[in-house]
Amino acid sequence: MDNGAPSPQKSTLPGFLGTLDNGIAKVEAVILATGVLLMAINTVANVVGRFILGESLHFSEELNRILIVMITFAGLGYAARHGRHIRMSAIYDIFPTNIRRLMMILISFVTSVIMFFLCWYSVSYIYSVYSTGRVLPTLGFPIYLIYLWVPVGLAVTGIQYFMAGIKNIFSRDVYLSTTVLDGYDEQETEI
Amino acid sequence: MMAWIMFLVMLVLLLFGFPMMVPLIVGAVVGFVMMFDGFDRMDFFIQQMLAGIRPTALIAVPMFILAADIMTRGQSANRLVNMVMAFIGHIKGGLAVSTAASCTLFGAVSGSTQATVVAVGSPLRPRMLESGYKDSFTLALIINASDIAFLIPPSIGMIIYGVITGTSIAELFIAGIGPGLLILLLFSAYCVVYAHTQNVPTEAKASWGERFSSVRKALWPLGFPVIIVGGIYGGIFSPTEAAAACVLYAVILEFVIFRSLKAMDIYAIAKSTGLITAVVFILVAVGNGFSWIISFAQIPQSILGTLGINEAGPIGVLTAIAVAFFIACMFVDPIVVILVLTPIFAPAVASAGLDPVHVGILITMMVAVGSATPPFGCDIFTAIAIFKRPYWEVIKGTPPFVVMLLGATVLVILFPQISLFLRDLFFL
Repeated sequence: MDNGAPSPQKSTLPGFLGTLDNGIAKVEAVILATGVLLMAINTVANVVGRFILGESLHFSEELNRILIVMITFAGLGYAARHGRHIRMSAIYDIFPTNIRRLMMILISFVTSVIMFFLCWYSVSYIYSVYSTGRVLPTLGFPIYLIYLWVPVGLAVTGIQYFMAGIKNIFSRDVYLSTTVLDGYDEQETEI
Repeated sequence: MMAWIMFLVMLVLLLFGFPMMVPLIVGAVVGFVMMFDGFDRMDFFIQQMLAGIRPTALIAVPMFILAADIMTRGQSANRLVNMVMAFIGHIKGGLAVSTAASCTLFGAVSGSTQATVVAVGSPLRPRMLESGYKDSFTLALIINASDIAFLIPPSIGMIIYGVITGTSIAELFIAGIGPGLLILLLFSAYCVVYAHTQNVPTEAKASWGERFSSVRKALWPLGFPVIIVGGIYGGIFSPTEAAAACVLYAVILEFVIFRSLKAMDIYAIAKSTGLITAVVFILVAVGNGFSWIISFAQIPQSILGTLGINEAGPIGVLTAIAVAFFIACMFVDPIVVILVLTPIFAPAVASAGLDPVHVGILITMMVAVGSATPPFGCDIFTAIAIFKRPYWEVIKGTPPFVVMLLGATVLVILFPQISLFLRDLFFL
């Protein structure tokens, strides 16, 4: 909130991978912004509808349920890319660059493994939701579809952290993500 | 045994500097593995994560963040500040009191401490420095007064507490007003005393004409508290609907009436809101998975039993809660603390017969106080990032404020009426 959304940063990956990475970044940003705008329009329309037309949008709640999953898991990767996930860095910050770089390599790889671990189990969870055939009562939309963002978001985040680890192995500075250098003031953010 | 392993692993990961979702996930995974002898039931964890972000009431969080994001970039904050200044700027310590009062007023417009630091602190700090206040006092005042915003509705912390405990968010919102004003009163008194002892020069007194015009300019932004407090307590809005109404109102003010923002800005604002929302909601998701497994394993009961909190009586339980949340927030982000500690104390709260609204207010207060307390309260780091001042300078002036806040806490524990009288007035 302090400095607004981070400006789009170019991928540091070579060739095709870089293009792909930039593409993913763009898609994440669009999903995030569109998700929030749709949620705002939906929620506001529901209120306006209830007061002016005396009728609320019966699908409003379900639409928001879809959108919040989308925002959370698209934003998971986007926040990782911009090094914006909340962390307690007070002790970490005491150490000199070399040690911080080693710590960051460990943090990145372990976090990456955990993201893929959750991704794996989210697929099996979605499969079980799929097998029950549950649908959203009003929209009639199959529930497993709204959860498809979950493994995708976790996998993208896992890849992000993996690449951040690689980046730190091959660089002299410490990187919070592939594009964000540690020590910038801009990454401080919380509610 | 299981609890110790879980918390030890989490503590190590946390202090090492992992993103905060990682300690929560790993702690939960350790719990699942020990409880179910392996990874077979991990899909329960995913299920609980998704259940955690499902409640409709949580939609109020991104909506209030969006409204605050729009206002912080627009003119609303400045107009409120100018109005407060026109009335109390001229008294001894008036600029400092105005800062505290502006933080409180802005808190009634936005639910976030950080938005308040930016919106009120950024314009007022240079003015305080110019008129002779020390920077250490100024920074400490801004950090601590911004915490009042956490208590004055709307409040993101209260929404999350309300959702995970099933407490009425509307009642929490109104119960926060009393303690918020109490803290403002204590801070204002300190500001006046400080200005007298340091002999800070006073500001020119505004004429009634200037005052009138400042009120006229602030009338539009003053509509926010009317929508939130009036709307919710008039029974017109649910908190989520009030949040949506605030978004609509903020868009109309800043884009149409003040014309301080252009249509193109909305994309950047939505992206920034989405980012902050995602960062909070992933914690809410994994926090829910974590609290599910610790409740399933009956860890809260065993911790409370070991510490003897179950027999401590209402005041004892409240004191234990206050201490635990205060200490935890000196190290960890408030949202995480609420998510992890609230379910642990839930059985004690129930068995002591405490009012969940009163407990919620105490927790919100402690979270706010802890966040502004050295060594690692996260507000301190917000201030370092925003004002670009070294750590030592930012924390130097905080002790008197922490003492006042702890004093206010003792009052709230001993006199539940401070938080409950407004609630009872409106809801009973």
